[in-house]
Amino acid sequence: MSARGVVLAGVGGQGVVLASAVLAEAALQSGFEVKQSEVHGMAQRGGAVVSHIRYGDTVASPIVPLATADVLAGFEWAEALRWLPYLAPGGALVVDARRIVPPGACRDHRRWGVPYPPLDPTSIAGRTGAVVLIDATGIAGTLGNVKAANSVVMGAVSRFLDLSDAAWEKAIARFVPPRTVDLNIEAFHAGQQAETLDPADIPELGLDPLPERHYHIDVNEAWCKDCGICPSICPEFCLALDDAHRLVVVDEEACTGCRLCEVLCPDFAIRIVTPVGAQGGAR
Amino acid sequence: MTIVDIRPHLREWAMPHVLCAGCAHGIVGRAFLVATDRAGIDPDRMVVVAGIGCSSRLVGYLDFCTLHATHGRAPAFATGVKLARPELTVAVFSGDGDGLAIGGNHLIHAARRNIDLTVVLFNNEIYGMTGGQVAPTTQRGAIASTTPRGNTEPAFDSVALMIGAGASFVARASASEPFTLERIFTEALTHRGFAFVEVLSDCPTYFGRYNRLGDGPEMLAWLTRQDSRVAEPLAAKRVVDHLPIPEAPPGLDLGVLHREERPVFTGRRSG
Amino acid sequence: MKQSRLIQGNEACALGAVAAGCRFYAGYPITPSSEIAEYMARHLPEEDGVFVQMEDEISSLGAVIGASFAGARAMTATSGPGFSLMQEHIGYAVMAEAPCVIVDVMRAGPSTGRPTSPSQGDVMAARWGTHGDHPAIVLTPASVTEIFELTVRAFELAETLRMPVIVLYDEVLGHTRETVELPPRVEIAGRRTPRVAPTEFRPKEAGPDGVPPLPAFGDGYRFHVTGLTHDERGFPTDEAEVAGRLIRRLHAKVEAHRDDIVEVETLLCDDADIVIFAFGIVARAAKEAVMVARAQGLRVGLLRPRTIWPFPDREVAKITAGASVVLVAEMNLGQVVREVERAVAGNARVEGLFRADGEAIDPEEILQALAPDLEGAAR
Repeated sequence: MSARGVVLAGVGGQGVVLASAVLAEAALQSGFEVKQSEVHGMAQRGGAVVSHIRYGDTVASPIVPLATADVLAGFEWAEALRWLPYLAPGGALVVDARRIVPPGACRDHRRWGVPYPPLDPTSIAGRTGAVVLIDATGIAGTLGNVKAANSVVMGAVSRFLDLSDAAWEKAIARFVPPRTVDLNIEAFHAGQQAETLDPADIPELGLDPLPERHYHIDVNEAWCKDCGICPSICPEFCLALDDAHRLVVVDEEACTGCRLCEVLCPDFAIRIVTPVGAQGGAR
Repeated sequence: MTIVDIRPHLREWAMPHVLCAGCAHGIVGRAFLVATDRAGIDPDRMVVVAGIGCSSRLVGYLDFCTLHATHGRAPAFATGVKLARPELTVAVFSGDGDGLAIGGNHLIHAARRNIDLTVVLFNNEIYGMTGGQVAPTTQRGAIASTTPRGNTEPAFDSVALMIGAGASFVARASASEPFTLERIFTEALTHRGFAFVEVLSDCPTYFGRYNRLGDGPEMLAWLTRQDSRVAEPLAAKRVVDHLPIPEAPPGLDLGVLHREERPVFTGRRSG
Repeated sequence: MKQSRLIQGNEACALGAVAAGCRFYAGYPITPSSEIAEYMARHLPEEDGVFVQMEDEISSLGAVIGASFAGARAMTATSGPGFSLMQEHIGYAVMAEAPCVIVDVMRAGPSTGRPTSPSQGDVMAARWGTHGDHPAIVLTPASVTEIFELTVRAFELAETLRMPVIVLYDEVLGHTRETVELPPRVEIAGRRTPRVAPTEFRPKEAGPDGVPPLPAFGDGYRFHVTGLTHDERGFPTDEAEVAGRLIRRLHAKVEAHRDDIVEVETLLCDDADIVIFAFGIVARAAKEAVMVARAQGLRVGLLRPRTIWPFPDREVAKITAGASVVLVAEMNLGQVVREVERAVAGNARVEGLFRADGEAIDPEEILQALAPDLEGAAR
């Protein structure tokens, strides 16, 4: 059998690493050679975590090559999208519909958050085979512990892999905390049977995007010597020297609060001020 | 890391400061203030001693006890302050001419004693306050008002000097990296023993003008290139055909370059 | 309790310093003053004080000034070549108004000169050695006991007037052993501290006597000290009016206390036709000469300044008013003699007896110098 590849992606705290250990063990129990590699994007709760598992008669590399994964399991929608390029054409996508915004993703500096992608499987139509969208967290909660959501996801994943239930159950028993073995096995089977949701039935993402932060660039004109350093280093071009070589704030709206101008001002003349009342008000 | 507002640590009534537009010394001073705040130092118990020169003038704007001493002698004054009142945190601001030429003797002996001081040496490769004369740190080939044909003397490596003299914490940082400066200053201020931090700074008014390195913004970029990790020799930057080509500086190692624990001199019977 | 013992002049100096509350000494070895440092190194730690041997005399006085701003009564001691190096910081101490005591045990110069031989060649260096217009207080003891007393006195003047005070004596006195009775402690007036809140404090704002209060670093007053000409906030200024006000105040505070600072001692001057003006070790020889002359019925007296700077010009004028000759004996080629001439202002003939070969002036030399005038004194 040629090697099979599975990519598990989620954020810290979702049990991605444990789930990948279970899968690896299940494959091992089934007599395959297994290689597994995990990447913790950020060593903190909430940071992106991805794990690659490959198994087969012989496996050389632990890394799933691009566009070859048989299954991509997204414990989180945005993370699933992020790793989509690894999925083979026609590969299966399993996704927990519960959405979490990873804190480190901050393409929009002002909100320190990504514009969260809409949960819309049709947007990736043609790039995947089967799409299984389940409320893994909700199912696990019904069973008694939301932490078992990873087992629910793995149950759904098992539909696309040729590993016996016995192997899965043995692997679960080996890795989850002893008192939660039964719960996780129950969750695993619930995941095997879970019906794919219609996105239309999924409530709008209960995610509060951070309000936009507006920063005030407080320039003490009496101290500023118009040296030109801040306009030269401002990444958003908020500051400029005018024709008279005087410093002017030209685009305060664009300020992302990076404070480079403040820390590189030799004249102590700039302070970046978050208006009082704004979320995360710095001062 | 919390954001530190440094204005409460400034003598606002004395501002704006006397340094030229674009001179990076103020960036260093700001990072130092952040570090004193982060290190949790009571401003009433912080003393900053300075020698003579541009960098030394900065201390007048810091709202601590500030002692603007004589040329090169700041380590001696600081020694007196620290020995007489050990519970004070004592730092020294010095320039390259101040600390390495006229004050070299005091610097090496303060390091040898391992007295609990933090010395910040601003290296802008020139005497700024007196009008751009060559300094002990001026790169070979560089132009100063007293080396109109290019400096023929080699430059001092203050870090090697300080390690040799016995400083127990030695670091080099660049004014172009203020966040690193904040971190290194915090470590230096909390180090028990003699801590020395050379900061690569600039002088757009003289060194920049004489050597055609541009104004403040350009010189900040030039500072970045002094770092051995990204070294781009002065020679490559200069477009001065009629002048001798300066010897390419090797680039300087940045970061905390030496750290050890060794007995601290207190001048008292009970250490 | 006073204790009678035989000690050296340099040791008396150190004892006086400790008795006056000196708790910081920084110095550099130099003959003939090193015994002061050695004594301090032994005894200051017992008083919870600090001794540090610095890398040179420049840094020694620098450290002393630093310690002074940190609140310590602080001193250093040196001799000619080291005294030259200290001039930089004597000026700084004047300008920044740092209380401190500097002892110069004079040896024969210029330059390295004769390290183990006495001289009085630094008397003008003590007054004018540092650049710029500055006041000076210089005390000139003439015995081991007086070295103790005037060292104590130097601390009191330094602390109360916020300035450097110099104790000036020579190698012979420094190494002379005499039996003395010295108190272990002497209470002296200290520096005045501010009465206003830190936010109201202006570090160079003086009271009517011209002396600004001085808090120690670390006592809650965050202030700036500089050797640059500065305003009442202690901050550098380029305003001529402010600059002039500062320099005049530095002098005025000494002038305001002048009568307290200046001390002279006279011996048989009331009826003297010849007054010998001598200080330090030469005054000892002059005293002997006076006694010999008086034994011969000659009207000779001695005027001995314990304070050489500010110069006791009014005292000299008054005490020599009835004399026809004033003989100035000093171990140099004529430094103080001009000050005496200025004070005497032509009311008497001023003669000089000078010696600059590293040997002390003895009583016989003084008597010989007086010989041409002794006839008049005999009348």
